[in-house]
Amino acid sequence: MVPKFKPSPLRIRSFCTKTVQQNPHHWPIKQITKTNFNESLSEIKNHISSSDFIAVSLQNTGSFSSPWHRVSTFDTPETAYLKAKFAAERFQILQFAICPFKLQASKVIAYPYNFHLFPRDELKMGMPSYSFTCQTSYLTAMAKEGFDFNTCIYDGISYLSEAQESTVKVRMGNPMAVDHATKSSSSPALSVADTVFIERVRSRVKHWKNACTDSDIKTEAALVTSLRKIVLGGEQFGSRPSMTIDVCSERQVQLVLKMLEDFSDVLVPLIIPAKGGGTQAVRAVLTSSDEDKDLLKRELQTFEFEQNKRVRGFREVIDLISASQKPLVAHNSLNDFTFIHSKFLAPLPPNMNEFICSLRLAFPQVIDVNYLLKDIGPVKKMTNISATIAYLKNRFFAPIEMEIPNQANENEGKIHGHNVVKICQLFGKLCSILKITPDAIESSDDFLASAINRYANIFYSLPGSSQEPTNEEIRGWTNDKRKVSCEDVVFLWGFRERISAGILKNMLQGSHEVFAEAFNVRMVDRSCAIVVFGKPGLSNTFKNVMNSKAVSGPLREMVSDGLKAAGYETYQRVCSSGLWESALADALDKTLASHNCLSEAAYETKQSEIYLSNELINLAEL
Amino acid sequence: MKKRWPITILYRAFSSSTTSTTASFPLKHVKKSNFDSALSSLRHHVQAADFVAIDLEMTGITSAPWRDSFEFDRFDVRYLKVKDSAEKFAVIQFGVSPFRWDPLKQSFITHPHNFFIFQRQELPLDGAAYEFLCQTTSMDFLAKYQFDFNACIHEGVSYLSREQEDKALKHVNSTYEDESLDSWHSLKEIRDTHLFNIPDILFAERMKDRLSEWLGGLLRNRDGGSEVQPSFNDSKQQFETIFFKMRPAISLNGFTSHQLLLIQLVVRKHFKDLAYLRVSGENSCSQNVIVYIESESDKKMLMKEVKDEQKIDAEMSIKASIGFRHVIDLLSSEKKLIVGHNCFLDIAHIYSKFFGPLPLTAEEFISSVNKYFPHIIDTKILLNSNSILQQRMKKSSTSLSKAFSVLCPQIALGSKSTHLALQPSVKVEVEVDDIRSSNWNSGVKHEAGYDAFMTGCVFAQACSHLGIDFKQQSSSENLAHNEKLREHVNLLYLSWTNGEIINLSTGNRTSESLASNKRKNHYPKILFECIVIVWGFPSHLKAWDIRECISKVYGPTSVISVYHVDETAVFVQFSRAEMVSKFLDLKGSLDRNNDPISVLHPLAKLLEGGNTCAASYETYKEICSSTVSKVLFADQAKAVGIKWKTKLVESSDKTKEHESLRKVKAVNSDPSCGERTKNKNFDDVSNDSSYSQLSSDEIIDSFYTREAKQI
Repeated sequence: MVPKFKPSPLRIRSFCTKTVQQNPHHWPIKQITKTNFNESLSEIKNHISSSDFIAVSLQNTGSFSSPWHRVSTFDTPETAYLKAKFAAERFQILQFAICPFKLQASKVIAYPYNFHLFPRDELKMGMPSYSFTCQTSYLTAMAKEGFDFNTCIYDGISYLSEAQESTVKVRMGNPMAVDHATKSSSSPALSVADTVFIERVRSRVKHWKNACTDSDIKTEAALVTSLRKIVLGGEQFGSRPSMTIDVCSERQVQLVLKMLEDFSDVLVPLIIPAKGGGTQAVRAVLTSSDEDKDLLKRELQTFEFEQNKRVRGFREVIDLISASQKPLVAHNSLNDFTFIHSKFLAPLPPNMNEFICSLRLAFPQVIDVNYLLKDIGPVKKMTNISATIAYLKNRFFAPIEMEIPNQANENEGKIHGHNVVKICQLFGKLCSILKITPDAIESSDDFLASAINRYANIFYSLPGSSQEPTNEEIRGWTNDKRKVSCEDVVFLWGFRERISAGILKNMLQGSHEVFAEAFNVRMVDRSCAIVVFGKPGLSNTFKNVMNSKAVSGPLREMVSDGLKAAGYETYQRVCSSGLWESALADALDKTLASHNCLSEAAYETKQSEIYLSNELINLAEL
Repeated sequence: MKKRWPITILYRAFSSSTTSTTASFPLKHVKKSNFDSALSSLRHHVQAADFVAIDLEMTGITSAPWRDSFEFDRFDVRYLKVKDSAEKFAVIQFGVSPFRWDPLKQSFITHPHNFFIFQRQELPLDGAAYEFLCQTTSMDFLAKYQFDFNACIHEGVSYLSREQEDKALKHVNSTYEDESLDSWHSLKEIRDTHLFNIPDILFAERMKDRLSEWLGGLLRNRDGGSEVQPSFNDSKQQFETIFFKMRPAISLNGFTSHQLLLIQLVVRKHFKDLAYLRVSGENSCSQNVIVYIESESDKKMLMKEVKDEQKIDAEMSIKASIGFRHVIDLLSSEKKLIVGHNCFLDIAHIYSKFFGPLPLTAEEFISSVNKYFPHIIDTKILLNSNSILQQRMKKSSTSLSKAFSVLCPQIALGSKSTHLALQPSVKVEVEVDDIRSSNWNSGVKHEAGYDAFMTGCVFAQACSHLGIDFKQQSSSENLAHNEKLREHVNLLYLSWTNGEIINLSTGNRTSESLASNKRKNHYPKILFECIVIVWGFPSHLKAWDIRECISKVYGPTSVISVYHVDETAVFVQFSRAEMVSKFLDLKGSLDRNNDPISVLHPLAKLLEGGNTCAASYETYKEICSSTVSKVLFADQAKAVGIKWKTKLVESSDKTKEHESLRKVKAVNSDPSCGERTKNKNFDDVSNDSSYSQLSSDEIIDSFYTREAKQI
């Protein structure tokens, strides 16, 4: 028999007031699941409100499905956003670590929490998500770290985004108390049909009310009671008797509400919303007294409050973070915040600008440690936080003491979410090296704000962007750290598979005169390469040659073998049209095919600039 | 490893207190660690078996609500939906339960196996990462039945499909064919770029000295016969003298990749009798060696030797990753009768996971399935199509657990209940790891191994009700050829919803006749050429509104039914096929003209918002065939790249179409006929003779359909 997961109701906690831990594996990170979520909320709230910053880090079920889906150095902010959006919409967050922290001199005081999430369709409405994609490599890697999938799936916290919550409210059909807005002030002119309708309902209500309040029939047999119920149309609302009045239009709702005012001493009208908007029925609830009436109203309020809380789930924490307006610190902010936006706020908007505007409403300041790193010097973009910390340790003397006063649940076997503490640590180091915060925090908030503002909300920046492009063109080729205009980039595909950039370059060199000037070739994936021309204008010449009948010589030979070329705007169209084929060549072909049928508005490519750097594409890595 | 299994004894001891412990059904759970031993024992069991029952657990069924199975699925669309499901979701548990008749014991012996499977990317294949979809409700469902996800992801058995294996082997072949070429090129580039800086040059010089020192020592040693004196003790760890393929060699350790490249360069440039090699060592970590070679031909020989060895290694690792597919290969090669319960989707999963990509059409799929598995029986069809069995089932539902408890109560409860013994029943004993038992508590439903076991029991019992006497049945005879079963073999429900059955051996499709009386919603036969799909209409419009809207134009009986695909799309079934093109033409012209008359047109209500699209059933099929799966149909259509609003049908009857077009045009060009359009079209319909031929039954049915939808 397979051991099945059973959440232990007993959690032994060690209450230590002060823990200073330098060994990451002993960082006490509080693990939160459905079982201890509610009881932890108030504590988290306190830590958030007393913190200077909040670090966040996500563990997702995947990132990019094909080599070219990865955000790379040849991406403009726009295409990078589209790639991140594609990932955020498909994959799922399984762990969400947050860490409110304070910076004091060379000390970071952190309160890390790691939330286990799982989207549960509790309302049977296909929310928060109908389905999600998993990458086996991600799951395998998590398994290697000892991740407990049973805890996650059985006991993960569900959630709804803000947008989903508002649609749910409409569709749940909870009875709503009538507020004054729903009552129309002007009394409608009554037609004959209206009068008949009202009188019929009035007499039904009267009979029912009398039957309920009549004390003589309290003792009758169960059968008679149930028969009476059927005849009178009465039912129970909680412990109170109630009666449902069906309505066909909003006008009838108004009529019924108006009529019920005559019984307002004991009857409380509730509106039952129909699925998909509108009103399905009005329900009159019988109360015994004024106190009872107030009690009912309060009950309804708490019911709604509790239900909303249950529906929101983990988003409660997001709301707390958002309400605190504290600056957030992340390591891979574009990736993380596209996920956060799509899962907890609303579906992702179609472009980067709208995304940033929308995100800023919820989180005014987001700081990416990768961007801080750039100010330190020509550090290669590092994807691994631990490596970055090690690198800084070797270069700078900026010891950071980590203090984690959290109460960890000790008897839980595995502690996850170390990254979030590492981000705090790295951020602390960077701040101390860049002399941004430690003392400034106490002295003046303004200084901090301005210092932080310099770094906030840059979601996509490129390695080496603080460097000016050099004049040495040739050096630029070998070192590949220069700005390249999108205009000078051409995508090439249709060559034989498993060709190397070097061979392709050799083949191109003799094929046409445009390749007499300096140019560079990089592989994007196995099917496609980019060619970067050193001299402006050559890319257009090349594209024109490729499309004309005049193509001759070795190039003609290559074109006959299937070689194709397209400019950067085609690539942008691939990303925006969502043709995420697994090979870029197929996506480009499809885009060209659909574009030929329909000419669309031209894409602006002129201002956008991309960078090429050494790490651009390394086929061995892909 | 034999698992001791004291549960029966335990059970007896505590039978008064334990009611339903989940640990009590004997199942052989197979994971990575015990796969090899389980496979070899399973091989014997399958070879000896009369039939093999199977069951699969997946991470989901439908990738979007509109991909659910509908009454309005034509068989090709149904196949596309099954294909989509099998391609997107993962199989995480596979139950195999071989059943063998034991003439001595007069009972069936079965060995239920429960395989946890999880495909890992074990080979460095190029291209897309392995990924699969999870449907949140399915995951929740599995969690409800205590599915062990850890066992699956941490310890599941991986696999390769036949196609993936072929691809990987081809990849290996091509790699070892032109590897020399590639490495030469990369080397050339290094020479161009890196030897310009001083540290590199100095390092290269130092390496050159050390290598010649080593080489010199080596040659002296051979000539003089004295001991090898490693003169560079400081770097003993870095330069380790070893023997490689019977040749003296240096193993390089602790160099950076850049340094290794420089060493490689030095060897190439200065030492004719040394060869630099990168080989994969035992623990899959690569090893860099410099080998002494006697001549150019010796070098070639060495290279070939190394290459062949690497190729064999690579091929071995591919063979090793076949994993769970061995079980499928076994089932296929033994040509045993495969028994499943409502297993069309299961078969599609098996095909796409273990053979190759699913074919584009149902016909191709069926013919290749029949090649791999010549005999399949579906117990759900068996129970529904045979009157004896229907009687036995007492008209209860044919879900697996229900069928099991109705047909095999004595097995469902273990042999504890003796009062049922009067009923003629097939005895089944379970054997796991050589321990036999006929006593157990019920297992966990929706665990693949237990479900497979239940399926097999249901089948065995059904056979006995059909009059198959296992005592008479000789073991050599294939059960699938038994004449009492013959008419049921290779029939699968293409769709349970509309009772369409497909014959895998002939490819014929039939509609279920016997069981149809059970179906509550008995629809009139659906003519797909009469169907229009409409999507993107204003969200407040319900099926009834749309019906009313269209009826205003074409008459009250023009629309047979309106069926919600999801909240953003409906099927409109017209009473006659030509109405489809009429409707689409009219809609098309209304889309184009945005004048006051179009606004007043009865269809305007449907077109409000300007996003309403309409097309024939073929477009629906096209959209279903896309690999994209958006949750809402309207979004899906957009994602598929549909930019038009109306797709006109190319009618075979051109003249008719022209006529209707002209009519529409005439109507639209006349500015005073907003009201007349309606009447005229209405007249058209009511004058039509074919309309009056509609039987009253059909009309009632159509209303019934509408009402069912409303409720």
